[in-house]
Amino acid sequence: MSCPHAIESLRPRPLLRLRAHPLRIALVGNPNVGKSVIFGRLTGRYVTVSNYPGTTVGVTKGRAMVGAEMCEIVDTPGVNTLEGALSEDEKITRRLITDDAAELIVQVADARNLRRALLLTSQLAELRRPMILVLNMLDEARARGVDIDAEGLSEQLGVPVIEAVAPEGRGLAELREALPDAALVRAARECGVDHLGWAEQMTRRYRHIGQMSLGRVQEWLARAVRQPLTGLPILGVVLYVTYLAVGVLGAQTLVGVLEDGLFGRYLNPWATAAAARIPVAIVRDFLVGQYGLITMGMTYAIAIVLPVVTTFFLVFGFLEDSGYIPRLAIFSDRLFRAMGLNGKAVLPMVLGLGCDTMATMTTRILGTPKERLIAILLLALGVPCSAQLATIMGILGGVSFVALFTLFGVVLSQMVIVGYLAARVLPGDRSDFIMELPPLRLPRLRNLLTKTALRVRWYLGEAVPLFLIGTALLFVLDRAGALDTITRAARPVVTGALGLPPNAAGVFVMGFLRRDYGAAGMFQMARDGTLTGAQALVALTVMTLFVPCVANLLMIIRERGVKTGLAILAFVTIVAIGTGAALNGALRVLHVNF
Amino acid sequence: MSTSEARALSALAPGMRGRIVRVTRDLTVRAERLGALGVSAGASVRVLQTFPGIVFECDQTEIAVERLVARSIWIEVEAV
Repeated sequence: MSCPHAIESLRPRPLLRLRAHPLRIALVGNPNVGKSVIFGRLTGRYVTVSNYPGTTVGVTKGRAMVGAEMCEIVDTPGVNTLEGALSEDEKITRRLITDDAAELIVQVADARNLRRALLLTSQLAELRRPMILVLNMLDEARARGVDIDAEGLSEQLGVPVIEAVAPEGRGLAELREALPDAALVRAARECGVDHLGWAEQMTRRYRHIGQMSLGRVQEWLARAVRQPLTGLPILGVVLYVTYLAVGVLGAQTLVGVLEDGLFGRYLNPWATAAAARIPVAIVRDFLVGQYGLITMGMTYAIAIVLPVVTTFFLVFGFLEDSGYIPRLAIFSDRLFRAMGLNGKAVLPMVLGLGCDTMATMTTRILGTPKERLIAILLLALGVPCSAQLATIMGILGGVSFVALFTLFGVVLSQMVIVGYLAARVLPGDRSDFIMELPPLRLPRLRNLLTKTALRVRWYLGEAVPLFLIGTALLFVLDRAGALDTITRAARPVVTGALGLPPNAAGVFVMGFLRRDYGAAGMFQMARDGTLTGAQALVALTVMTLFVPCVANLLMIIRERGVKTGLAILAFVTIVAIGTGAALNGALRVLHVNF
Repeated sequence: MSTSEARALSALAPGMRGRIVRVTRDLTVRAERLGALGVSAGASVRVLQTFPGIVFECDQTEIAVERLVARSIWIEVEAV
C-alpha cells in the first residue's frame, strides 16, 4: 500500500541549516490580493491592510520561524507586470527581486483572477527563483463560482500551489510546510509561447466557472455606488455621516468632555496648583503658562486633536476596507483629467484627508512623473488632513453652513485652477485612466480596530512630541521677544491684508510645525471669541491652503528633491495669502459677517 | 449562440457581453497596462455602465476606463 505521507517523512530534511544570513522570502503578487495579510500572519507584524490597490507602496521586512529556520519575509508593493512600462511602486518590487536577491518567491494570487496571476507567474519564472503559488481569497472565488484544480496546476507548474483564505488563517500552515519544496516554475518559456498566451491556456485548462452565488445585496450595492443617479446621493450620505462622526461626535462632544471636563476642570487646575510650589517663575510658566507644556501642548494634543483623529481614523478605515474609495474615481475622472491627472488620483487625494504626508508617498501609484508632481502639489496646497478637517468642521459648523461651504468652495476652486494651470505649464503627459475596482466588502472589525489603534499610536508617538516641541519653541520665542517681532513683521499681512487679530501670526507659525496644531490653535481662538465668523473663515482658508507641515515638506523633498520642495513651499504660501486677502476683501465689500 | 463582428468597447451598451478579439497595439503602454489587468484577447467581458466612465467586468475583475481607452478594446458581442 502506498502512503504518500510515509514516503514524505522518509525524505531527509535538515533540522537546522546554517547560513550566513536568514533565508530571504519575498511575497509578490498583483495589487490587493492580500500579501500584507499573509505577511502579518507569518511574521506577527501588522502592516496596514486595506481594500484598494496600492496600500503598500514601500517594502516591509519581518522575521518568521519556519520549521527550524529563521527566515526574513519581505512584503512588497503589488505589481501587475514586471516587464514594459512600470509605475514607481512596480519598479521597487522588481528591483527588490533582481538586486536584493530574494532567494525564494511566494507569489500571492487572487483566486478569482487566475489569468492575471499566471501572467505574473510566467514573468516571475524568468527571474529563476524557486517559487510557491498561493491562491488566496478562495472563499470569495467560490462565491463567484470559480473553481480551480490546484493539484493539476501544481503538477503543471512544478511548484507547490496552496489554497488559502488568509484573514482566517486558512492555508498558512500548509504554506509554511511547503516552503522547502519551492522549485523553479515551468511557464511560458518552457512551452514556447508568450506570457499572455500561456496564462490564457493554463486558465482555460485549470479553472472552471460555475454558478455564481453572490449575495443580491452585494450586487445591488456594487451597482448603486457606481451609477451617478444613486452614487452621488450615496456620496452625500457618506460625507454627512463622516461629518456627524468627526465634526459633531469628535470635534464637539468628545472635545467638550476632554477639554472642558478633564483638562479644564481637573488636570489643568491640578497642574497649576502643583506648579505653584515650584519657586522658579520661568519653569512654572514653561509648564502651565500661556505657552505651557501642559496647559497648551498637552491640552491641544490630547483634548482637541486626539478625539478628532480617532473618530476620523475609524470612519476612514471603514471606508478603506469597504472598497468604496476607488469607486469615486469613476465620478472624478473627468475633473482630474482637466487637471492633468486621471481618476486614479482620487486615491492619494482622499488618503490626504487622513494624512498628507502618507498620501504624498501614495502618489507612487500614479503613472507618470508629471502626474505625481501635480498630485503632490495639490496635496500640499488644498487637501486638509484629518485633524484640520475636523477643526474646520468644528469651528465653521458652529458659525454657519454657508461659511463651511464657502471654505470648501474656495479651496476646491483654487485646486482646480492650480491643477489646470500646472497641467498646461509642466512638461510631460498624463497616463490613461485604467483602474481596477476592488470588491465591495463588509470590513472586518478586527482589522478596523487594529488599524485605528495603530494609527492612534502613530499619532501619539509622532505628533504629540512635535506638539510639545512646538509649544516649547513658542515659549522660547515668546520669552526672547521673537514672537512679538514675528507678529509685528507679519502684521501688514495678518491684520492688513487678511483682517485677522495680530496674534493669529503665532498660530500660523504653529501650523507650519503641524497643520493640525495650527488648526487647534485656531479652534481655541474661535472658542474664546477672539475671532469673528468672517475672520474664522479667512483664517481657516489660509491655514488650509497654507504651507504643508514640516513632515509633509520633508516627504516631498524625499520623493521629489529639495528644489521642487522649496518651489512648492514658496508657491503654496503665495497662493494661500493671495486667496485669503481676496476672500477678506470680498467679505468686506459684500458686508458678510456670519 | 451566434456572434457578430467585432465592435469597440466604447460603442457597447450596458448589459452587453462578449469576448475580446484584440486590443489595439498602436500604444504599447496602454495595451501592456490592460493586458496586466487581464484585458487581452480571449477574455470574456460584460459592460456594466457607460456613463460617466465606462465600467466593465473582465473575467472576475471590475475595471473602469476612460472612453479613449475603451476605443482600443475590440469585442465580439454575443447575441442576446
